[in-house]
Amino acid sequence: MDARLRRVNKEIADCKNDKTSHISIDLVDNSPFHLRGSFDGPEGTPYEGGRFEVDIVIPESYPFQPVKMRFLTRVYHPNVSSASGAICLDILKDAWSPVLTLKSTLISLQSLLCSPEPRDPQDAEVAKHYMTSKESFEETARYWTQIYAGGPGKDGKGVVQKGGAKDEIAMAGLNKAHVDQFEALGFDRSKVIDVLRRMNYRGANIANINDDRVVEELLK
Amino acid sequence: MTEPSSSSHQEIFQESPSASPSEDATIAPRMKSKDLPELDEAQPPEYTIMDEFQSLTPLREYQMDEQALLAESIPDRPLIGPLVPLAMLREEYERGSQGFVRQIDWLMSHGHIGIRRTKGDGDCFYRSLAFAYCERIMHAPDAELAVMSAISSIEATPALLEAAGFQPLVFEDFYEMFLSLVRKILAPDENGKVLTPAALLGAFNDPETSNSIVVYLRMLTSAQIRSDPDISNFLLSPETAEFVEPRVFCEHFVEAMGKEADHPQMQALAQALRVHVSVAYLDGHSSGQNGDEVTFVHLDKAVGTVPGAEPVMLLYRPGHYDILDTRSEDPMDYYT
Repeated sequence: MDARLRRVNKEIADCKNDKTSHISIDLVDNSPFHLRGSFDGPEGTPYEGGRFEVDIVIPESYPFQPVKMRFLTRVYHPNVSSASGAICLDILKDAWSPVLTLKSTLISLQSLLCSPEPRDPQDAEVAKHYMTSKESFEETARYWTQIYAGGPGKDGKGVVQKGGAKDEIAMAGLNKAHVDQFEALGFDRSKVIDVLRRMNYRGANIANINDDRVVEELLK
Repeated sequence: MTEPSSSSHQEIFQESPSASPSEDATIAPRMKSKDLPELDEAQPPEYTIMDEFQSLTPLREYQMDEQALLAESIPDRPLIGPLVPLAMLREEYERGSQGFVRQIDWLMSHGHIGIRRTKGDGDCFYRSLAFAYCERIMHAPDAELAVMSAISSIEATPALLEAAGFQPLVFEDFYEMFLSLVRKILAPDENGKVLTPAALLGAFNDPETSNSIVVYLRMLTSAQIRSDPDISNFLLSPETAEFVEPRVFCEHFVEAMGKEADHPQMQALAQALRVHVSVAYLDGHSSGQNGDEVTFVHLDKAVGTVPGAEPVMLLYRPGHYDILDTRSEDPMDYYT
């Protein structure tokens, strides 16, 4: 049997036999080289109670080459692209080693949720939010977990809930009063949200941004 | 009658011109410009090519290996080349640093007249050591004793890896690959063939076999470092030159592919494989009192080695390891 297939099969079996980590790996389209992993959001973080799904592609020369992973569940985190789910983590790049496995890599993703590295961001806007106000960042991350990762009491199981009423202001990690203030000047609400999010109009950073600059951006 | 691995001999022969100095010289100017500003300008092009390869990511390296495997026509430096006279290396330095030339002369006058060059992909220490290790067993005066002793050393290693916390599933395939290659030195395979020197070279130029062995030696090095306080208490980060924890050191500078080996890795691997290793340091600077001596670093603290066994000889130039030999070419019947 092909060495890559033998290794992947062992890894999948290893994951199935481990009942304590709550990490699961499933086949996509019956291919052992395209998988879907999922794990619980770590306790004591804004991701607690959510279930996070990851798309896994096993490259041709695995395990010499790193496995390719990205979040399928949308995550609000400095090292994860909020749009594409792309992940910034050294072991998925040049620090990869064949001693790592699908399970240990998924556990590393879980740890990444516990300890963001905003100085090496994948999503610069989210990283700025984190650096400006950790409290506000966590509130937003918690809201995303609830909406996308199926928080407690919901049966979302990490699937995006379509049609559910989402609070766009909370999604962007902004303050309703600030959005109202600029919307009152006659700008479109979604445009205001977009501009304030990009400008990181939050916490102490607000003092650095005068209203004229915001209006200037809104007029662009 | 054709040997099963004859096609790969062909391939090695066809590829070997790409390692010739003239070809290197034509590529060199393109590759030279951007890296390693600290390099002596007078050094020959060959040297910079290797460092250029090392600046590639492991990912890119493996993509390149894979391409070479898929399309044999793509010229690429072999993972391990044929034995060539050390005089060829001397030629490459003749227009460059005379310090290197004098050191090469010194080596040749002391019987080290051959070199087997390895690809500069950051795995060169592990690959060189593994190849030289197997070749030394093959050519041992008592090959049977050498194989048995090697097998017993290798068979003792999974326990070391498990003690260091590696799951068997991450190392058993690589372990089997390494062990079965050493077994084949004397024991015929299913086709009744024992490993010939040419087949050994072929195996080390097959990316999957070669890289599996490199990975196993990296894991073994890591396990040894973690378990040996003589080594693990004195680990410096190659990036910051500060003390680092064994776990961090091993994860970043041992287990990851393409990361060059330094003294702790060499010391640990020699110990774990129970082999003596001597490394000739070619640095272009005279170190001995009589001017042109080459410093040999002897990693000879390993216990449990075969008494009287010759050490594995490597040649180090800054950033790269090759295999040093007392023969200047493979025997005439090597590829037949």
